[in-house]
Amino acid sequence: MRKFLINVNGNSYEVEVEEIGNNIQRPAPVQTTPPAPVKEPTPAPKVEEKKEIEVSAGQEIVAAPMPGNIWKILVAEGQEVKEGDNLLILEAMKMENEILAPRDGKVASIVTKEGLAVNTGDQLVIIE
Amino acid sequence: MREKIENLLDIKAGIDLGGGAKRIEKQHNSGKMTARERINSLLDEDSFVEIDKFVEHRSTNFDMTNTEAPADGVVTGYGTVDGRLIFVYAQDFTVVGGSLGEMHANKICKVQDMAVKMGVPIVGFNDSGGARIQEGVDALSGYGKIFYRNTIASGVIPQISVIMGPCAGGAVYSPSLTDFTFMVDKTSMMFITGPQVIKSVTGEEVTQEELGGASTHNKVSGVAHFIDKTELECIERIKELLSFLPSNNLEVSPIYDTNDYINRVEDKLNEIVPDNPNKPYDMKEVIGLLADEGKFFELQSLYAQNILTGYIRLNGKTIGVVANQPRVLAGCLDINASDKAGRFIRTCDAFNIPLLSLVDVPGFLPGTDQEYGGIIRHGAKMLYAFSEATVPKVTLIIRKAYGGAYLAMCSKDLGADQVFAWPNSEIAVMGPEGAANIIFKNDINTSNDPIQIRKEKIEEYRDTVANPYIAAQRGFVDDILVPSTTRPRLISAFDMLESKRENRPKKKHGNLPV
Repeated sequence: MRKFLINVNGNSYEVEVEEIGNNIQRPAPVQTTPPAPVKEPTPAPKVEEKKEIEVSAGQEIVAAPMPGNIWKILVAEGQEVKEGDNLLILEAMKMENEILAPRDGKVASIVTKEGLAVNTGDQLVIIE
Repeated sequence: MREKIENLLDIKAGIDLGGGAKRIEKQHNSGKMTARERINSLLDEDSFVEIDKFVEHRSTNFDMTNTEAPADGVVTGYGTVDGRLIFVYAQDFTVVGGSLGEMHANKICKVQDMAVKMGVPIVGFNDSGGARIQEGVDALSGYGKIFYRNTIASGVIPQISVIMGPCAGGAVYSPSLTDFTFMVDKTSMMFITGPQVIKSVTGEEVTQEELGGASTHNKVSGVAHFIDKTELECIERIKELLSFLPSNNLEVSPIYDTNDYINRVEDKLNEIVPDNPNKPYDMKEVIGLLADEGKFFELQSLYAQNILTGYIRLNGKTIGVVANQPRVLAGCLDINASDKAGRFIRTCDAFNIPLLSLVDVPGFLPGTDQEYGGIIRHGAKMLYAFSEATVPKVTLIIRKAYGGAYLAMCSKDLGADQVFAWPNSEIAVMGPEGAANIIFKNDINTSNDPIQIRKEKIEEYRDTVANPYIAAQRGFVDDILVPSTTRPRLISAFDMLESKRENRPKKKHGNLPV
């Protein structure tokens, strides 16, 4: 369980994120416990965004195939990619592993960042 | 007499129509061929000879007395592919949904038995709604008889299953008992329990295609070996596969003339492996440069892509290739890769196909999911399969060969007849980085400049241990090759090994870790 403090429109929300092990295509379920003003479902966007990634049709999650470190990100959000294009390099097993686009599309979002340690199944990039 | 002959021809023509023109049209509209069309596309022109055309069911339960089922929903017989005899059966979806009843099963069993007696491959087209429920346990018994024959024929003749429609419930076990499973994208599906059952039991919602489509079984489950867009492409691929296989376990694969020069020196091989051992490259290119005409017939190309399995020809002779793919998962061995390779190695050994192992493996994939998933017993399959295989075994170490994974890729000790290495190979218990940390722990910890000293020690380890010369001094490597000369050397090695004979202690059967 990891805790994050998220600021949305001046309101801060405490967010707990639980990591689940070998569950590949699924993003970690996110629980929110907004301690501060429970305003409208404004905190939702942050949460919903992740949820959307899971369900929205036409989007595809590129997940880490094995534990390692993100060494280099080679694409930017919004960039068009072709199937087989190199999205990023994951350093694992003493190897610079190319993580390739599973299909043609656009980089909807980059969920990871350079230098981050990732585990098998962690989301890296969303293609749409 | 003339009347009787005409009558016979009428009856035959009627049976040939299967479920009738309407159902045939429906079959065509959904992108599928009929059973007879499939058989005729697979076999050489006019070579098909049908058996048991007149068989009918004998069920009187429910509405079955009034149900006509021409040929009882399955077309069986024999014919040739590239002039070589094979047996074949094709379920006819236009006849009571291709459902399997007692006589339907008996027909399949008959061609299975004949294929074994004649020692030739059998190809089965599956397109069936499942068991013919009206026939109850007789239908179930039919499946059982087919499974039994699949098992008895296993390792005797090549058995090929082609899924060209639904194949659900118990029916899926016949394909999985056979050697190769072909599927067609979007029109074929396999599952034990369908989406409705899954929904009522676990609440999960899943479409038929997601659950058991060709894509799922080629990418996720590893149940199928091939996926094609159309039935015709699928059938072409079956023919190609057959060209690599012998007719039975006592023969060798047919030899094809090649225009490729056996002494071809390939300079590209000297350049193909990056100097930096951390850089990936595409192992398929290496295979292509070694093979006759650059052709690699890959199996399970979408599943466990960290290991490559498939057939090439060297000097016209079929060779089974098992190769690490550094581009995927760093080329690590994991559960799925071990499964895929283990099965492939045993298929080759059963059918006298020599094995070539191309090694660039950093180790087994670390992680709790791997350990909990039983990588120990799955990895053991590869060790077992390579050790058990008595066909000629040649291993080529291309770069990394570390630890247990080095052994699992058919090291000398597992019975490789010839082991070659390229001069940049690193053969050791573990990689220099990890090993230096352990061996030179004290030197590094007590140093003023641990980073620098660690770097030096890594180099020292690489120079002294992680190279092919130590292994060659001990005889674990038979020769170190200039990469460009690999093809002629492999051809020479397999030629030398052609008369290999190896006897094992007599036993009922080994106990493969499953």
